[in-house]
Amino acid sequence: MTTEIPTTSSRGPIRNWFRGVLLDWDRTQMLICFTLVGLLALAPLFISSTYYLGIIILATIYAFIGISWNIVAGFTGQLLIAQIIFLAIGAYTTIVLFNYYLISPWVGILIAGLVAGLCGIIVAFITLRYGLKVDYFALFTIALMVALRTLFLKWDYVGGAVGMWFSLTDPSLDKMIFATKAPYLYIALGLVVIGLLIQYAIYRSKMGKYFLAIREDDDAASALGVNTARYKMLAVVIGAAMAGIGGGFYVMYVTFIEPPQVFNLGLNIELVMAGPIIGGLGSLAGPLVGALLNKPFVEIMRGALAEGRSGNSLIVYGSFLILTIMFMPRGVTGVLHVIYLKIIRRFTNNPEGDN
Amino acid sequence: MSPEIFFQIIVNGLFTGGIYSLVAVGLTLIYGVMVIVNFAHGEFLMLGIYVAFWAWTLMDLDPYVAIPIAFALIFGLGALIQRGLVQRVLDAHPLNQIILLVGVSTLLIGLVQFFFSAEPKAIHVSYETAVISAFGLRFAIARLVAFFASMAISLLLFIFLRYTRTGKAIRAVSQSRDAARLMGINVNFIYYLTFGIGAAITAVAGVLLAPNHRMIPTMGQGYSVIAFVVVVLGTMGNFIGAFIGGLIIGVVEAFAGFYLGGDVKIIASMMIFILILLFRPAGLFGRKST
Repeated sequence: MTTEIPTTSSRGPIRNWFRGVLLDWDRTQMLICFTLVGLLALAPLFISSTYYLGIIILATIYAFIGISWNIVAGFTGQLLIAQIIFLAIGAYTTIVLFNYYLISPWVGILIAGLVAGLCGIIVAFITLRYGLKVDYFALFTIALMVALRTLFLKWDYVGGAVGMWFSLTDPSLDKMIFATKAPYLYIALGLVVIGLLIQYAIYRSKMGKYFLAIREDDDAASALGVNTARYKMLAVVIGAAMAGIGGGFYVMYVTFIEPPQVFNLGLNIELVMAGPIIGGLGSLAGPLVGALLNKPFVEIMRGALAEGRSGNSLIVYGSFLILTIMFMPRGVTGVLHVIYLKIIRRFTNNPEGDN
Repeated sequence: MSPEIFFQIIVNGLFTGGIYSLVAVGLTLIYGVMVIVNFAHGEFLMLGIYVAFWAWTLMDLDPYVAIPIAFALIFGLGALIQRGLVQRVLDAHPLNQIILLVGVSTLLIGLVQFFFSAEPKAIHVSYETAVISAFGLRFAIARLVAFFASMAISLLLFIFLRYTRTGKAIRAVSQSRDAARLMGINVNFIYYLTFGIGAAITAVAGVLLAPNHRMIPTMGQGYSVIAFVVVVLGTMGNFIGAFIGGLIIGVVEAFAGFYLGGDVKIIASMMIFILILLFRPAGLFGRKST
């Protein structure tokens, strides 16, 4: 993953290519992302504690889910607050296929992505067919989440209120059950790499430009001939499918699922929203940077401040969201961007640096 | 179904609906004036019921005596939240507003959970289970009081908005921020006031629930969702719509609870919500007024 960093002795084309990357903020963000992914991939070599590896794995899963939400909320500005619906659907699909039909999670997760994407089509079709305004759209998704929670609680086939789980006794590759943490991390990192590439491809494509136009001004985009309904739907469906895949892997990692756990606004904030918002909603590096800051920090706080009291993580998340919106609405990536621009300006003004 | 049961369900529904009305009136007031959906709204109800609990455990105060305390405290908190936080995102992208309020909601739940723990709590008063029987129907005292108090508070607020100078100023700001400012109205003050009142009457709804309702820190979320349903049903920003919508949803839930069971009744309001959003997004009273 780190092949983009040239070796010290390389000159000529590689060096020029590297310069090109650094002069372009989007590609610099991708470079930051892949450097982070590379560092994470090295983590099992240095960290033996399963507790810390577990946090890293969850942070990586959060990053992937965050990317899926970033495409919907960050790029097109649609307030799909309860993205966790699609994660839950993907998770349930995977575990039902695994438990009842003995279908390998490797296949199950892909089917989960399809099912979640299909649900995304339904949600997008309903909301767009009737042209819900931004805040009504947000309320609609929350209502849907509450309704689905009740439905899943009563649905015995998927375990009802008890939920579903599987046992970890028989590790094997095709069951996606491993005795150690490292393989989970590499699968999660693989997902993140795929997610980053999809996100970048969308961002660079014509579709991505339409997405951003819709976010900035829906009506103006429409007036300029962008089929806004179609692109909004595409964004929801892509986001939903990715969240479904992420949910499938999430349930294979945490090994159990129950309705109050997944159809839950608290987990939705922790898992889906906090990362991209802290990292910078709508930016390329935001979801990954945010997830890597968010999860470990909250875990440290949970450990340091616990003293038998609950509510710490909620206090931390609440403060994070408030402080981010108040003081850096473009997130950590936005702050990095400002610093980057200063450096670049100095670099390009200075002929010494231009060899 | 015998007529007794039928009317008993309606009475129960109206009693629940009265609380919903009060919560929804607070939400619709805030939306009407600031055009911002208060995603932290249910948390003010939760804070209200915990203020009652706190007054009861610490000072042995009856919940009904705690009403002014809750009103004052949550009014201050609401005005402070408006002044310190919401004010600064009024012109921002709706996404930022919603994220901010979701953050406020999460923070408030976390703080209450920190100080009172996540364990369910309850207030015990002598009239907790007292019941009056009349016309073959049973009326729980606490819920009867809650219902009429909700009605009275809504009416007072309505009179305040309609006939006082400050109330007229609030309505003026809701019609046009800029015109109101040109007429010499201190718009920012009206904003603090509105958010404070909206939060405070919701907290009072929480106190009214206190005598016979268990409390947990996350209970506000359910009421937020119900309040969204009611407000959309009765048209966003419409005072009377929110009031009547609350009663309708209360009765619908009571019947759904009777036929489907207590846990599933929320499905009924969600279905109404989704249908209203899809087919009549302007709500039942699609004419804007405060």
